Amino acid sequence: MKILIIEDEREIAQSIKDYFKTNGIQCETAENYNLARTKIDSYDYDCILLDLMLPDGDGFDILKELKAKNKTEGVIIISAKENLETRLEGFNLGADDYLTKPFHLAELLVRMQALIRRKNFKGSNSVVFNEITVEIFSKTVTVNDIKLDLTKKELDLLLFLIGNENKVLSKSAIAEHLSGDMADMLDNHDFIYAHIKNLKKKLTQAGSGDYIKTVYGLGYKWENEQ
Amino acid sequence: MSNKKLLLKTTNSFLIYAVIILLVAAPVFYYTCQWLYIYETDEVLLFHKGAFVKESHSNYTANDIAAWNKYNHNVTIVPDMGVNKDSIVGEMIFEAMANEKEPFRILYAPVEINGKKYTYIEKRNLVEMEGMVISVAFMFLFIIIILLIGIIWISKKSAAQIWKPFYNTLGQIEEFEIDKNSPPEFIATDIDEFDRLNKSLERLIEKNTVIYKSQREFVENAAHELQTPLALFQTKIDTLQQLDLTREQSALVGSLNKDVSRLNRLNKNLLLLSKIDNESYLDRDTIVLSEYIDKHLGFFIEQAQAKNVKINTHFKNILRTKGNTALTEVLLNNLFLNAIRHNIKNGVIDIIIENNSLKFVNTGQQTPLGAQSIFNRFSKINPSSQGNGLGLAIIKKICEINHWDIRYSFTDNLHTFEVIF
Repeated sequence: MKILIIEDEREIAQSIKDYFKTNGIQCETAENYNLARTKIDSYDYDCILLDLMLPDGDGFDILKELKAKNKTEGVIIISAKENLETRLEGFNLGADDYLTKPFHLAELLVRMQALIRRKNFKGSNSVVFNEITVEIFSKTVTVNDIKLDLTKKELDLLLFLIGNENKVLSKSAIAEHLSGDMADMLDNHDFIYAHIKNLKKKLTQAGSGDYIKTVYGLGYKWENEQ
Repeated sequence: MSNKKLLLKTTNSFLIYAVIILLVAAPVFYYTCQWLYIYETDEVLLFHKGAFVKESHSNYTANDIAAWNKYNHNVTIVPDMGVNKDSIVGEMIFEAMANEKEPFRILYAPVEINGKKYTYIEKRNLVEMEGMVISVAFMFLFIIIILLIGIIWISKKSAAQIWKPFYNTLGQIEEFEIDKNSPPEFIATDIDEFDRLNKSLERLIEKNTVIYKSQREFVENAAHELQTPLALFQTKIDTLQQLDLTREQSALVGSLNKDVSRLNRLNKNLLLLSKIDNESYLDRDTIVLSEYIDKHLGFFIEQAQAKNVKINTHFKNILRTKGNTALTEVLLNNLFLNAIRHNIKNGVIDIIIENNSLKFVNTGQQTPLGAQSIFNRFSKINPSSQGNGLGLAIIKKICEINHWDIRYSFTDNLHTFEVIF
């Protein structure tokens, strides 16, 4: 899988690159408008991460160009701009998702995975991890073909954990992912503990491996036992 | 000291002046008239006497004098009373016709008839004068009063006309709020002082608006600019926590994570406040409050679970309100989180909708909050809490721009935040 990161802050681009590398995602970076245009013209990507404020141009122009050239890349806007108008304009110009800075890398990763799943969707849209299968559309989870009864939050949490396999996830990253729009207001992230506990219990009771590990002082990690 | 209206004040001094003049003028006028009348009467008395002497009554016999005295009511000739020169005195004399004493002027003058000395006495009744003086005084008063009323009325009218631009300016300034409406437009005036007043006010307002705007923009820009370093900070921590860390390092990175999300939250709230200031949330819709609360109740119950706080809702009627949807949601979320954050273990939150009021009643600290300062920015209720002191400021701001009323009260150890829509 190959993605393009259009971002003028090199260090942010580098962090994304490093984080995604271990998940088998190959990242290319473009730190300005012109470079981004050249790269889009010459290559095809699975996904493009787009910062709107570039030193030599407007991120929206890149969206227009992709549209004009009938390119099918999924685009996630990553921007410090946070207002409804910018968001709507981005979606109107063909962006698939919008993430406001600052964000958690884990959040960006699962959003991108979801986007790519939607783009590559051929009849079924599912996430499989060993004996666990999550059907995205029907929102069903099975362990060794036995259906599991999960709440919406637990399902969301499961996808977040699997998507960030082998990554240490901070409590705040999980809490912010689970609370969506409300995330900016929460000052207490302890509520995720109950969700983790319940999910863990339901999975192990259904005979799945115990993949959720607690990382001391930090948060949790989804880890393959082997 | 109570404030008086400008126009009232000018007419008041007019009135006071008029009353003083009237009080002083009335007696002066009365006595002057009286004096003039008496003076005239005395002249007439002397003139009559002169005529009597001139008409050569000097050859009158004693019989003639008796006859004169018989037929003349006002003039009598009596034997010499020892009067050497003409003298006039005022006296009250009983008048049989009127059956009372009336004021008279009486002239005593020495005359010689047939070589004998006599005294000429003539009296004139002053009653006519009293009537005349009084009616003249009344006319005079009447004219003065008409004159005064006219002057006051005209001056009031013209003053109102003259001060009109001033009152217009005053009204516009009273209405003006720097963070809301557009600058006032003063009506043009041909009065130099008012024109100067308007011009200097315009300059003052313009200058302050520019300062206010740049300050507002500064907050928004600063908050915006902070987002990039915050993003760098966040992504680096995310990267850092993937490394093989010791327990000690893990704990440190974990607490760094908390700090950065606190910083992030603070920044987002500042951005929100400055956006409300910058009128980014203008579109209004009808919102059914209970629907929103019901929809998100699960989320808040989950948040309250850590403290085992129970949330009860009592919706006595359907409350619809007109406002910006996004902001109304922020308001409700903040009220919810505020009630949870400052609650105690095993506490209770009651959400009551009744008529046009929404109440969040919650248990919490045993003392009331300082009602004056709690809605100020960065006034922290509890210094050790994770709150950033902007939650209530945001609540207040949202209520303000929607013209809703927010109240805080503390009764029976319960804290109540009430919004009147």
